[in-house]
Amino acid sequence: MIIGSRPLLCASLALFAYLGGIAEAQESNAERAKQIIEEVDNLYRGDASDARMKMTVETPQYQRTLTMDSATLGRERMLIRILGPKKDRGISTLKQESEMWNYFPKINKVIKVPPSMMMGSWMGSDFNNDDLVRDTDLTEEYVLKLTETSDTFEISLTPKQKTVTVWGRIDYVIDKHARVPISQTYFDDDGEKIRVMSFSENREFSGRTIPSVMEMVPLRKPGHRTVVTFERLQLNPDSVSADLFTLRNLKKRF
Amino acid sequence: MLNLKLAFRNLFRNGRRTLLTCLLIGFSLSALIIVDGIILGMSKLLVESATHLMSGEAQVHRRGYLDSFDVDLYIADPGALQATLERNPAVAGYSMRVMSGGMVSSPYNVAAAMILGLDAGQEKSVSRISESLVDGEYLSGMDTELIIGSDLADLLEVKLGDRIVLTLSQVDGGGISQELFRLSGISRFGIRELDSTTAFINLDRARGMMGMDTAVHEIAIRYAEGEDSANRNHPLLAELSNSEYEALGWKDFNASIGTMLETIDLVTIVVGMILFLLASFGVINTMFMSIYERIYEFGVIKAIGTRPTDLIKLVLCESFLIAVGSVICGTLLGGAVSYYFSVSGVILGEFEVSGIAFHNNIYSVLEPAQFIEFPIYVILLTVIASLYPAAFAAKIVPSEALQKSL
Amino acid sequence: MNVQGPALAWQSVLLVRLAFRNILRHRRRTLLTMLSMTGGYILCAAAISLQYGSYGNAIEFFVKDRTGHIQIHEGNYLQRPRIHKAIAEPDDLARRLINDADVIALTTRVFAPSLAYSEHKNAPANVIGVDVDGEAATTTIIAKVHEGEFLTGQADADGYFSALIGMGLADLLKIGGGDELILISVGADGSIANDIFIVRGLVGTRRSADRLNVYLPLGAAQAFLSMGDRVHEFSLIIRNLGDSVAVADRLGGLLPESLSVDPWERVELTFYKTMQADREAMFVTLGIVVFIVCIGVLNTVLMSVLERTREFGVLKAIGTRPGRIAWMVLTENAILSGLSCLLGLFLALPIVGFMTIVGFELAEPMDVGGVLMSHVRGEFSLRIFAVPFALVVTTAVLVSIPPGIRAARILPIQALAST
Repeated sequence: MIIGSRPLLCASLALFAYLGGIAEAQESNAERAKQIIEEVDNLYRGDASDARMKMTVETPQYQRTLTMDSATLGRERMLIRILGPKKDRGISTLKQESEMWNYFPKINKVIKVPPSMMMGSWMGSDFNNDDLVRDTDLTEEYVLKLTETSDTFEISLTPKQKTVTVWGRIDYVIDKHARVPISQTYFDDDGEKIRVMSFSENREFSGRTIPSVMEMVPLRKPGHRTVVTFERLQLNPDSVSADLFTLRNLKKRF
Repeated sequence: MLNLKLAFRNLFRNGRRTLLTCLLIGFSLSALIIVDGIILGMSKLLVESATHLMSGEAQVHRRGYLDSFDVDLYIADPGALQATLERNPAVAGYSMRVMSGGMVSSPYNVAAAMILGLDAGQEKSVSRISESLVDGEYLSGMDTELIIGSDLADLLEVKLGDRIVLTLSQVDGGGISQELFRLSGISRFGIRELDSTTAFINLDRARGMMGMDTAVHEIAIRYAEGEDSANRNHPLLAELSNSEYEALGWKDFNASIGTMLETIDLVTIVVGMILFLLASFGVINTMFMSIYERIYEFGVIKAIGTRPTDLIKLVLCESFLIAVGSVICGTLLGGAVSYYFSVSGVILGEFEVSGIAFHNNIYSVLEPAQFIEFPIYVILLTVIASLYPAAFAAKIVPSEALQKSL
Repeated sequence: MNVQGPALAWQSVLLVRLAFRNILRHRRRTLLTMLSMTGGYILCAAAISLQYGSYGNAIEFFVKDRTGHIQIHEGNYLQRPRIHKAIAEPDDLARRLINDADVIALTTRVFAPSLAYSEHKNAPANVIGVDVDGEAATTTIIAKVHEGEFLTGQADADGYFSALIGMGLADLLKIGGGDELILISVGADGSIANDIFIVRGLVGTRRSADRLNVYLPLGAAQAFLSMGDRVHEFSLIIRNLGDSVAVADRLGGLLPESLSVDPWERVELTFYKTMQADREAMFVTLGIVVFIVCIGVLNTVLMSVLERTREFGVLKAIGTRPGRIAWMVLTENAILSGLSCLLGLFLALPIVGFMTIVGFELAEPMDVGGVLMSHVRGEFSLRIFAVPFALVVTTAVLVSIPPGIRAARILPIQALAST
């Protein structure tokens, strides 16, 4: 080695290291964001879940509270059974991949949910069927950017060119210490907030800390609000298996 | 010839009466020309509105499609039909279309709509969708382009460039298809149904979403010659139809407009007939008066030996001349007014009949028939009307006639 | 000394008698003149009758078929329908309305966009809950039912309520009378409405506006949609269709602010505008017809006056005052036209009667703004007969003034010299 080139080499190495560090830092930013999102996304699911929830829907015209049992297996399968009020008891929803069926005990029929109902609200709430059905791989279809504050992770998700969604951006705010979501805000392309989902009342479920209350507020519709409260949540229970998620099971009385 | 000369002289003797009679007949003719022009103009507008706005002058579908609009009833391979249309010189343009009901979602709202997949270029040769845009641009073949009706845009609270997701079912029991679009145009047809429930996207995108490969639901056709569209049994239609597919002229898939036109035709004929009946009373009256007045003269003529048939010929000649004179005046007047209307239009405001919006003026249509056939009818009718008075003249008894002084 | 009075009266009577004599003297001329005027009268009457009739019929048809004369909704339901915009305490409102002098009949409805399912297929459907009795009294729905019967308010032995479906649905779902129909919708309380109904009949045609409709008995629909006793719409039939706007305004003032009262002209704005344009076209056509008739009258009257120049000359020569001649002409024409119109009236009565009662059948029913009209009918009313009367007589009289004056002024020598 030539004596004269050593400083150059060192400087170069240092430069590379420095640049590489930045790139790594950037990559690790997205990586970290991805990790955090995945963690949060799976919070209520695990590989399987069994839960009892209460959903209260508020509109300027009425207020309604439903109690229901739900079971999930992976990301593709979900079964929800309404327990109350009495009028709606027994109505069930089954999701498999991207298809959804409803069962109505009063008429004893299983109805496949057509596109026209897909974008409609689920059970009159501020969630739509699409929210429940769509298996959006957030980490794949969105560009993630992580900002850290002393107490929170703030991740903004911007849809990629090909992503099919009406949202221009979704902001996740996550509690850094408890590793639980605080809010999800949905924006349109102009950056206007359209709806906000807030999480609160952290509780212990199956050894994890999970917010037991989810509240969805559509900001453009004054007086509308949907609150989902988890009364019981079991992650990866034995009771949940693949044969729970069949059309035949959908019709079973309980 | 003598008759003609005599006829002329007689007519000019009582110029005022001759003039009045000419005016009566002339005005009737003018009225008929003008009204016919307006009605033809209205019919033309009606047909054009009905067919050029969106539906086309003829359409091809799988049999049964028009009854239920079942998306599974598609034309699987339009290649052969396309070839037929390409070769046929009677066809000015055709357009392939795919249609399905579906949901349109914006960040703010969601609504049901009829989604049409169009080939931008082909469509221009058939319909005026491209002219109906009030904002944005027409389709140019890019995947994410979407045009929706103005009322639908209001409902969804969107503006150009906003994200819109279309959701629909694939054909043949396939799953649900959802794709992202960006609002690229807003259309306004002035028809409620179209403005509040239609969305236009590019044909290939629609086919892709519906899993339709090369299939289409509808082929819309425009003829090279406007008159062809009125022909329900145009040979082209037979050529395109077979056991699976049927081609129909607009009168068959929009029967109500067809009936309306027929009714209008009928009304015109009836009104015309009655008008001329009235006019002929006037003619008879006139001829009688003129004969009566000259009864002394006729008596003299007959007394000196003129044959009855000659008298009849004389009277008929007179009426023929009156008719020709009236027809000239009437045609000129009617033609002038009708021409004026054909250039500057008859204003009728805005209205909708059978889902077709009228917002144009009606331009009168001048046709040779109006200036050849109508006048001929008038001349014939006038001459026929004067047969009665002529017969009367022929039967005059000279001895009685010569006694009359008043 | 009042010698004017009786003298004038005597002169008037004389005038009239003279007029009559003149008329009867030249029978053929009189007859032809009358024919032309009578013909004109009949044509006018027929044209006016047909125009007003078809216009009025189209409206009545449409209005009975779809909207009723006046509709009442909660707030802006008409512009932006939402299931929760419903009228509360409809029975009270119904009572108030029925007691109103202008209201003859009313019916109530509920609406909900829904999904209809049959064994293997599904389709979007417009569910309309109708009051079984009220609907029959205010619309033509019963006439449109085929392949089955109209609704009944009672559930059948198995507890199912009946439904009427449009032809479009029958095709899409491949069901008919007696089959089960499943309806899914969203209730007023946000719940998912779901129920089974039995198809009792089909309505309309494949292309008619109601082809995707499902009609249910009101009570069953309200229960289906968890609406209690509330309704979306009141549809009223009033005494006089022509007063719809005025009555709607009046009722709007009497009823609570939250309710919107709209005449059919506002409910179906596009149809109304179409009919307006149609009416304008009608006036144009009528105008032309009237014009021709007037010319005909002009011609005959003018000529009959002008050709009697010699006669007037003689009259003047023997001392008749000019004024009297003018009056005589006027009177003659007035009487002549009057008689012509009377004759025309007698002849027009059965013609207009036929057109009104039987009408002309169209080759294929015409769709006017969404309603199928199978016949073109006339109108039978005072104005049909009065207008042409006034028209012909006025024209005849007006037209006889200038020549009458001219006749009055003529110098006997000139008159006697002419032919």
